This record gives sequence, structure tokens and C-alpha cells, in this order.
Amino acid sequence: MAPAFKLASLALLTWLLTAAAPGKPVLPVFPEVRAGQPLTFPADHGSHPDYRTEWWYVTGWLKTEDGRDLGFQVTFFRSRLSVDQRNPSAFAPKQILFAHAGLSDPKVGKLLHDGRMARQGLGLAEAATTDADIVIDDWRLKGGADGRFVAKAAGADFTLDLAFTPSQPVLLQGDRGFSRKGPLPAQASHYYSLPHLRVSGSVLQGRRRVKVTGEAWLDHEWSSTLLDPKAVGWDWVGLNLDDGGALTAFRVRDADGNALWAGGSLRAQDGATVPLGPKDVTFTTERIWRSPRTGGRYPVQRELIVRTPGGERRWRLTPLFDDQELDSRRTGGPVYWEGAVRAPGARGYLELTGYVSPLKM
Amino acid sequence: MPAERRPLSRTALAWMMVGEWRAHPGRVVTAALAIAIGVALGFAVHLINGSAQNELAQAVRTVNADADLQVHATTPLGFDERLYPALARSPGIAAASPVVELSARFGTGPSRSLEGGGLTVLGVDPLRAATVTPSLLGRGAAPAAGAKGFVPESLFDPRAIVLSPAALSASGGKVGEVVTITAAGRTVDFVVAGVLSGAASDPQVAVLDIATAQWLFGSLGRLQRVDLKFASGANPAAVEAALRARLPADAQIVTAQSEARRGDNLTKAYRVNLEMLAMMALLTGGFLVYSAQSLSVARRRPQFALLRVLGLERRGLLAQVFVEGALVGGVGAVLGLGLGLGVAVGTLKFLGGDLGGGYFRGVSPDLVVTPLPILVFFILGLAAALLGSLLPALEAARAQPGIALKDLGDKNDPNAKPAAWWGFGLLAAGGAAAFLPAVGGLPLFGYLSIGLMLAGGVAAMPWLSRVLLSPLQGAGRRNVSIDLALKRLWGAPSQAAVALCGIVASTSLMVAMAVMVASLRGSVDDWLTEILPSDLLFRVESGGFDADTRARIAKAPGVRDILFQKTLPLRLSSDMPPLVLLVRPVDKARPDASLPMIGRILDAPDGVTPVWLSEPAARLYGREVGERMVLPLGGANPQVFVAGVWRDYARQAGAIAIDQSDYTRLTGDDLRTEASLELKPGATPAGAARAIRAALPPDQAAQVQFFETRQMRAIALRLFDSSFALTYALEAIAIVVGLAGVAATFSAQTLARTKEFGMLRHVGVLRRQIILMLAVEGGLLGAVGVIAGLGLGLAMSQVLIHVVNPQSFHWTMETRLPLPLFASLTVALIAAGAGTAVLAGRRALSADAVRAVREDW
Amino acid sequence: MSPAVLSLTALRKSVPGGRVLFAGLNLEVAPGEIVAIMGESGVGKSTLLNLIAGLDQADSGGVAIDGVALESLDDDGRTRMRRDRIGFVFQAFHILPHLTLAQNVALPLVLQNLNAAEATSRAMTILDSIGLPGRAGDRPSQLSGGELQRVALARALVHRPALVLADEPTGNLDPETAARILALFVAEVRGSGAAAILVTHSERAAAVADRSLNLTRDGLVHAG
Repeated sequence: MAPAFKLASLALLTWLLTAAAPGKPVLPVFPEVRAGQPLTFPADHGSHPDYRTEWWYVTGWLKTEDGRDLGFQVTFFRSRLSVDQRNPSAFAPKQILFAHAGLSDPKVGKLLHDGRMARQGLGLAEAATTDADIVIDDWRLKGGADGRFVAKAAGADFTLDLAFTPSQPVLLQGDRGFSRKGPLPAQASHYYSLPHLRVSGSVLQGRRRVKVTGEAWLDHEWSSTLLDPKAVGWDWVGLNLDDGGALTAFRVRDADGNALWAGGSLRAQDGATVPLGPKDVTFTTERIWRSPRTGGRYPVQRELIVRTPGGERRWRLTPLFDDQELDSRRTGGPVYWEGAVRAPGARGYLELTGYVSPLKM
Repeated sequence: MPAERRPLSRTALAWMMVGEWRAHPGRVVTAALAIAIGVALGFAVHLINGSAQNELAQAVRTVNADADLQVHATTPLGFDERLYPALARSPGIAAASPVVELSARFGTGPSRSLEGGGLTVLGVDPLRAATVTPSLLGRGAAPAAGAKGFVPESLFDPRAIVLSPAALSASGGKVGEVVTITAAGRTVDFVVAGVLSGAASDPQVAVLDIATAQWLFGSLGRLQRVDLKFASGANPAAVEAALRARLPADAQIVTAQSEARRGDNLTKAYRVNLEMLAMMALLTGGFLVYSAQSLSVARRRPQFALLRVLGLERRGLLAQVFVEGALVGGVGAVLGLGLGLGVAVGTLKFLGGDLGGGYFRGVSPDLVVTPLPILVFFILGLAAALLGSLLPALEAARAQPGIALKDLGDKNDPNAKPAAWWGFGLLAAGGAAAFLPAVGGLPLFGYLSIGLMLAGGVAAMPWLSRVLLSPLQGAGRRNVSIDLALKRLWGAPSQAAVALCGIVASTSLMVAMAVMVASLRGSVDDWLTEILPSDLLFRVESGGFDADTRARIAKAPGVRDILFQKTLPLRLSSDMPPLVLLVRPVDKARPDASLPMIGRILDAPDGVTPVWLSEPAARLYGREVGERMVLPLGGANPQVFVAGVWRDYARQAGAIAIDQSDYTRLTGDDLRTEASLELKPGATPAGAARAIRAALPPDQAAQVQFFETRQMRAIALRLFDSSFALTYALEAIAIVVGLAGVAATFSAQTLARTKEFGMLRHVGVLRRQIILMLAVEGGLLGAVGVIAGLGLGLAMSQVLIHVVNPQSFHWTMETRLPLPLFASLTVALIAAGAGTAVLAGRRALSADAVRAVREDW
Repeated sequence: MSPAVLSLTALRKSVPGGRVLFAGLNLEVAPGEIVAIMGESGVGKSTLLNLIAGLDQADSGGVAIDGVALESLDDDGRTRMRRDRIGFVFQAFHILPHLTLAQNVALPLVLQNLNAAEATSRAMTILDSIGLPGRAGDRPSQLSGGELQRVALARALVHRPALVLADEPTGNLDPETAARILALFVAEVRGSGAAAILVTHSERAAAVADRSLNLTRDGLVHAG
């Protein structure tokens, strides 16, 4: 569920929209996520414009030709606004698309990131419903007939030009893709992942373009109501295990740091999947990194304890480097930590939100 | 010995000057005032222009924000919004921001002024504007520099609007309050969500979400503007050229430079004309200083000679006269700068930055005073005074002191013929210069011509006054006074000329301006009669009347005949101010029934749309009847045929008339905004207006303004007069300065002749005979001045009418003479000449006549 | 014998029409000597004075003041010579009407760039001594002709010139006043030690001079 908080950036935009047009405004009706709705592909790779929020979230580790490790994330969001549906203008801000991309390079020592944002329409910003195909200007995430995905994101400091080839079937999170996020049944999302994506492509840094290979993880999630009102943030991790397994774990925290909800899944290489509930996931803190810029105190090194029917398993998570904080406040988003982490026998991404100020949805 | 190196004795200088000024304060004051008025006018006009230009540039910046490049619609109808993604994807473009731009106003009813509400509504996509034109997003909400993807929440709210400071104060509301805005015929309530950064004097701008603007103000599918940001490293010229090639006819590329040129072109002619007028005023001041100084020097020639005899070096004498001139000029210039500042402040307050010319609508400029113009105008004033002193100073220094000491008056031999050739040479050169074309759209040679004529006329004055007086030579035989007066004027032509040059300069300039303004006003009056034949006019500022509404209006009681039209701004070239597209029914076979046509009228070839250009449009864009041109209205074939040219004084940037059915065919726009109607016999304008209002949809009924034709005509002429207010003021000042010059000159000359009067009294001439002699002299000089001034002024007016006006304002007119003004001018000048001579003569005669003979000065 | 204050050598002058006024004119004036020059109207007496003052130029011959040849000086040099070495008295007084008497008298001093206070104080002293005490602040219009000529005499002597040139100084005065002014002139000039050239019609005036000469076409000849 990791990227869900990204919508908090839209939380700053109070779309409390009342119509100025004559007559009563016609506001959109946001459908609820329900259990038991089967997901079909490639259509469910595509956009679900009726729902309030949706994202496609790719994270992963890259290895350059000269053997260096890099972390990356490419994320596309869609948000349906509560505006008067009668406005026939092609510019009517019924859907907003935006995207973030980040590059974690130990040589730089801090996260490089950039973003795009536009209202959907006129071909400049579109999200297809038939397959994954989200475009914002020159940024794109597109699924192909061969099952591969390609992503392109050109920022001020770097350009990612990557292709992702699935090596495993789709991992449906929660109950066949219905993933609870809070104590109430409505606090849920449709959520599936594609772990162990094989990555090929290139990274342009400055004037230098390097070929890269690696392994990535794609999350795709959509929902209309996500978080409990008491929630202030969450921790999320997705790990590609060296044995071919895939671990997803998250917990939603309240103001006291206690878990309001937790969950995830552990899929073995043979496809056997163990869904994880609120009692199955525990995060401990081993080291806190304090951001010199924001003063945020992030538990960047921690132990993840997962209870499975086969017994308790532990992963000690160590960041690629400490300073992977992403401060998107100047573009209206939140401050959070989004970083490449490794554990013995695993590599993946850790997301820590709500550590500087509570996330609002 | 240090004294050897100091030819100018400061004590002697001070004594001489103070003594002279105490003896003749009026003369010094007049000379200083002449300079002051010239400097004041020049400085005021410059300040006003500078401030207005500054405002215009600021206004352009505020509305256009900080885009690298803009694609602008040629008309307010806009262009297809699909151009926007095409532009956004063009190579070399980093970001594109679509804009809906509408003229609007606060409130619901019609605006009080003829000019409209002055509010510009900009519909923007804040997500795009944040990158391209961040200044269009509200203050306070705007994040630190380099914001990307920032979304001021208020701008997505369809009820929210962000106002410029000027708009906020015009709305009368505050942040958080509701304001009502009417644009495109629709009225919508908004909540003020924020304020744009900028000065209170910037134009009124309201920014809201683009989708809201398109929907609520009926602009779906259309954009008026796309703001563009170049990709880093892109070659702006190449990108611009590539874009230009792909643009449809109803869009054009606009850059900061072309906007600046447009603003400049809009007012250039007007500004330059005023600056030239101000320079003329300064020139007149210079002539008056010259005449005052040279009289003063001539009168004091023996005094200067004494100083020379007593040991003042030639340079010292030169310095003496020069320092006097410099002090007069310096004092006058400082006085003028202060006066000019006052005039500028007052003018800006009461007339606005365009001096009532109507160019900078909705802009109320702040005064911009910079040191350089102050210095320049001070130097100009000083230079005018110094130049005026130069000739007399040289003459004084050249004189042989031994002879000059005993010299009693005009050295000219009465039998010598005054040289006229160089006066005629200058006049001829002036005439020739009038035939040269404009330079950079400015009638510089026209002004040169006027300047040369002025100089030539003044130079020819000695000759002219003798020619004018020669028929009178035999006339005074029986009357000793007249005989003496004629003999003196005949015998001392250069003194007469000195007295006359100031008066001729100011009179001729004034006559020229008066003839020009009278001609223009007469032509405008005729033209108004021609274009305003109906009884009642009405219009709606935004939106328009659709076909159904028009049919209902036509059937309203009291309406006998009605004609609907529409005017909208059209940008033919990105460098030029928009001209006016006039949509109305035009009888293609007889366009002169609909428009005041001048010159040839042709039929358009089959399949080509005819248009009729106004005279300024034809001159500005160099189009001839029979040519084809591109009319950027969209449609498959934008080629139109210039079928004729019509007279227009209202739209200086030009106008194009098109038949309404052609317009609707080309644009699909069937709304009309104006109508003129004839009433049925017995119907009253008020009754018809009520009936028409009843026939309109309620919201439109509230917005319609009615004008009676009589009213319109009065308004038009009032606008005309206010735009020439400064010209009138200049004329009045020229007259006053001229008369003051005449008075000062005549009285100085008269007082200088005390000894002559004493001698005449000795030989038995009666007191009243001398007074009569002086009256005749003064009157004759005044008459000569009037004749020369009128003649010269008429010649210069023809240059103004046939050269300066067509070249700078692109219209022609027929000469009309303001005869009552001429008559009063003649009377005033002759009376002033005779009157001041008599007054001064009485003073001169009051001295003891015997003593007067004995005195040398 | 001390060197001549003024020496004229073989002076020749004609009027623009070509008529020769005089030729071969020689004259030496010693310091303190008063020379009267007489002659008929139009013979060129005033022109001779103008030549001596450097206000006009001779056809040929030389004018030297204190041994300095005027021909060797430019206009500025001749002007300075007048300013420093020569005093003038005119028939028509030529008193500037808008200056006070003291200012009129002080003019030669201020032209020498003496400061105003010093110059007026010296002018007042000399005004006292020529019989106009306490009148320094008056304007010329309040004065009679004789008084005006006293002021002129004061102005001619205030800067202690070596040579005073007087052109018919009594010509505009009634005989009684003329006599008084003439006596004052002689007394003051002698008192100052200056030499003087006195151009006059009047035998009585000429009688007060050390030498009296007649100007003719052939130069100066002893009168009487």
C-alpha cells in the first residue's frame, strides 16, 4: 500500500468545491472498494477514473555498468476531484495527474527528485483505462502487449528511461486484491503488486548516460476512502527476496506511534502466499536518522518481524544511505522518507511518512 | 598679476547687472518667464509621456506576466483550444500555459464610462501557470522561487478569484468577500481568494480557473492566449520561426519586444507631436529672450562702450552679456522645471496619462521623475537663453568702443536695403522639407519644415516690414505724427525686426495650431454627422444580441428602422496596436450608403470577401483599393479584397469594415453588440428604449446602454476637445508670452528713445503728437507682426494639415480657417503694440525734455 | 629728464573716405605735464585721443605710453593699458545712470579686480576731495552737469593713472561752471602727478595747460 500517502500532497489542495454555475452543482459519486471484485488484466493495469485516488508506484535497485548500486522510484498518481461534473470545458479539473521520480545515488548522498502535475485532458495528461498508460507531458508509464512496462521520467538533475519485465505472476494483496487499511471495512483499496520485475534501461545524470540493470517492484492501488481519521502516517516496506519470494508489510500509525492497522503478504517463490494481518507485522527501531533540514527523526534502520504460519521471520533493514528524505513541501506535497533498503537476503524500498507533521487526507 | 588672467571683474559684472535689473525688472522677468514657460511645457509633456509609457509597459507586464513568448488570438473570439497541446509539444518549448482572456467589469449594470470596465479576466490553469507565469498566481499562496507543480488551492475553486491590487480596490471588496463580475454578457459571483503582487496603479486583473472561465463566460473550446516558456538551450528565434509557420490565421506570436513596439506604436505619433509642440514653445521662448537681450544690448551699447574704454576686455564684455543671459536662462529653467512638474501632476490627475487622448484606458500613471530629463530640460532652457544672448553679445563685443560710446541709435542707413535672401532661403528649404516622407512613421521632416519656415520668416522680417510699410511712405505727409512714425520704422528696420521676431514666432505657431485644430474639428464634426444619422444608439458591452433577440428588438414599438453591428479588436500584426473590425450590414454595390467612402470603390471578384478599410488602416498597413489581404478571422480562406477606403477619425489604429453576413460565415459568431435605430414618427427615445429593454432577456436588459445621437455627438466632440486641451493651453500660453514680449519690447524701445522725444519736443512737436506717433508706430508694428504671423502661420498650418497629420495620425482633413480667432488676434496684437508703446511713451515724456537731450542715455 | 609718459611718432590717420586727417604728427608728453590740444571741428582731435587710448588705429606711426608701443599690443593688451595707465574725462560725462556715484567712480578699480569694499572706499575718499562729500550713495540723476563732471574727474583719477585724456570736459557746461571745473581739473591732475591731454575749443581752457598745441593736417604746432 506504500504510496497511498502521496495523495496527502493533494490534501493540501482542499477541493471543497462549490459550484459557481447556475443551479446546483453535480458532484461526482465515488464508488467504494468492495471485496470480491475480481481483477482482470490488462484492463486493471489501466486507470480507474471513478475512484478518488489511484497510483502506480515503481521502486527498485539498479546496478550500473561499473557496478554501483542506485535506488529509484517512479510514481504516477491520479486524483479525481470533487468538482461540478456539468462543466463541459476540456480543462475542467475532474482528474488531476501527477508524478514523482527519485534517484538514490550514494555518491550524491541525498535523494534527487522531481515531479510533474497536470489536469487530465487535451492529450497532454491522460490515463488510459484499457492498460497501464499514464502520460504527463514528457513523463510516461506504459504497459505493452508483451506484458512489459516502460517508464520515462526526465527531471532537472536526472532522467530515468527504464523497461520492466515481469518474471512472476501478479501478486494480489489482501483478499484477492481487496486490501484493508483501517479498522472499518470501507478503509480499503484495490491493491496488487508485481515484484521481481527485471529492469533494463539507462539513467542520465548530468551529461552522463549509464546503462543499468536491476530488480524492481510495481504497486498499483486505487481507492475512494483510505485512511482512518486518527492515522498520522505509516511505514511500508516491499522486499524482493533473493530466493524469489516477495514480502509486503505496512502499518498505519496513530499520533502515539501505535499501529492502527497493519498488514501485508509474504509470497514464496512457488507462489504460495501468506496474507498478513494486523497482528502479524511488527517494526522495531534500531537507529534513528535526524534530518538536518527538517528536523524529522526517521527510524531508518529497523527490524521487521513477521509472524507466519511457519513461524516468526525477521529482516534487519539497512538503508542504502541515510539521507533519502524527500521534501516536496515546496511543490505542495509532504515531507517523507522514501529509500532503498537492504536486508540479509533481500532488497527493497522503505517508506516512512508522518514523521515531520501528520499526514492529512 | 592674477588680475591679468581674470578678464571678468565680478564686482563690475554684479554692479552692471543689478543696476540694469533694478532699472528694468519687467524685461528680465519677461525673458525668464519665456524660458520658464518653454521649459515647463517641454518638461511637463515629457514627464507625462514618460509616466504613461512606464504605466503602459507595466500594464503589459502585469497582464502578460513573464512568459518568454506568447501566442495571442487576433480577435477576442480566440482560437481553437487544440492549438494549445500542439504548441506544448512543439520542439524547444519547455512549458505552455493556456489562458482565457476576457474584458470584463465589476458589477452587473452597464459601466458608467464609454470606455468599458477596464477589468481583464484571465482564466489560467494554475498547474501550468506555476511554471510559465508564476506572477499570475496569488500573493501569499505563492511559494519560494522555482516552485514547480505548486497548486494554489484557491485557483481550483470555481468560486475563487484572485485580484490584482487595482482590481481589488476597484471592486470595493476585500479578501474573503464576494465580488460580482460581468464578462461576455454573463454575470457571476466570486469570492476573493487572494491578491496578485504588484502596484495599485497596475491594471485591473482578475485570475480564475481556466475551466471556470471557459464554462461560465461562454468561451468553451476557445483560448485567447497561450504563454510559452522556452526549453533551456533552445534558440528563441528558431523556435519562434517554427511556431509561426504552424499557427492558424487567427493566432499570432507576441513577444515582450513586439508588445513593447505595439505600445510604442500606439502612442508614438501622439507623444512625438506633443514633444515637438513643447519644443516649439521652448523655441518661442528662445526668440523672446533673443529679442529682449538684443534690445537690451542695443540700448546699453554706449554703456558697454564706456566699460570697454575704461578697461574692460572684449572677453569680459562678452562674458558680461553671456552671464546675464545665463542667469536669466538658469532662473527661467529652474522656474520652468518646477512649473512643469506642477503641470504634469495636475494633468495626470485631471486628464490622465494620455492628456485626454484616450490611449491608456484604465491606467492611472504615477509620476516618474528621473534626474536625466531634469538636467536635459535645464540645459535646453539655458541653451535657449544663451543662444538668444549670443548674437547680441557678439555684437556688443565687436563694436568699436570709441564710436559706440557716442552712438545714438540704429546704425542702419535708411537707404540700405535689408538683406532678405537668407530668410527666403530658409523659407524655401522649409517648403522643400515638407515634401519629404516620414521617418520611422514620424513626420520629422514636417517639423523640420515648420522650424525652417519659422527661422526664415523671422529672418525675412526686416525686409518684410519695409515692403509692408513702403506703400504707406507717402501716406503720412499731412500728419507729422504718422510721418515721423513711418520714417522711424522705415529707417530702423532691424530694430523693428527685433521687436517683431518674438511676436511673429509665437503668433505664427499659434495660428498654425489653431488652423490645424479648427480643420480637424470641422472635419470630425462633418464626419460625425455622416456616421451618426440615426436617432438612438444602444449597445451591450459584453456578450451580444442573438438573432432571436434582434428580431424581437426590431419589432419593439417605436422602432422604425434598425441596424445592428459589432465591433471587436483585431490584431493584424504583432507590432501594431489592434485595429477595429466593424461588422455591419454593408451594401456591396453601394458601400457609400453605409460608410463615408473616399476615393475609388471596386467590386470584389466572385468568391472573394470584400472589406472596406478606414483611412488610417489603409495608410498604416499600406493597403490600396483593389489589393488582397489576409483577414485573420479563421475560416478556410482568410483572403479578402480591399473594396474601398472610408474616412474615420475615431479609430486611430485603423478599422476594417466587413459585411455582417460575411463575418458570420467566416467566424460562426452571430452575436451583435451595437445597434442604431430610427424612431417612428411621434416615438420618443425614452419610450423606444423602454420598449427595447422589455424585448431583451432580463440580465441583458440590465446591461444595455442607450445613447441619443445628439448625446453621442456631444460626447464625441467633448472627447475631441479634451484631447486637444493641452493644445489649447499651449496656444493660450503662446499668445500670452507673445503679447508679454510685445509689451516688453515696445516699452523698452520707447524708453530708450527718451532723448529723441526730448529733441522733438525742443523743435516744437506737441506731446500728444509724440503719443500719436508712438501709437501709430506700435500699431503698425503690431499690424506687420499680425500679417507676417498670419502668413507664416497659414503656411505652417498647411504643413501640419497635409504633412504632419497624414504622416503621424494617418488621416486627412480639409483646411478651415478660424476667422474669429484671427480677427481677435489681429485686434489684440495691434492694440497691444499701440497701447504699450503709448504707455511707455507717457513715461518717457514725463522726464524733463531739456535734460533728456543733454543725457547720453 | 624722465622718460615721456606719452610719445607719438610720425602719426598718420585718414578717415574711411580717404581724407587724411593728419600726418607726420609727433608729440612727447613728460610726466605731470598738461598739454592742451586745440583745433577746428572735424580736424580729428577726438580721433587723436582715440589713437592715444588704443581705441583706434593709426595708418602709420607709433603711439607709446610709458615707453610701451601700443602697436605691439593686442586688443586685450591695449585694454589693460587703458585700464591701468589712463583716465578719461568726456564732454558728455558718461556717468552710468543706474550706479551710485561711488560705484561710478570705483569702476576703474573694480575693473582692475580690486574688491568692491576697497574700491568704494577709495572712491569715497576722492569724491570727498573733489567737493562731493557725503554724496557717494546718490544716483547720477540727482546731479547737475557740473557735479557730474566732478564725478567723471574723480573716476579719471581714482586709479592713479599716468595719463588723463580729457575730451572737451567743459563743453557741456555753462561758462561759470566750466571755469570751476577747469580749475578743479588742473588742481587734481597736478595733485595726482599725472600727465594730461586736454582737447578743447576754449582758449581759456588751453591757457591753464603747460603747453598749448594746434592740431592741423601737418601735425601739432604751437598755438599762440
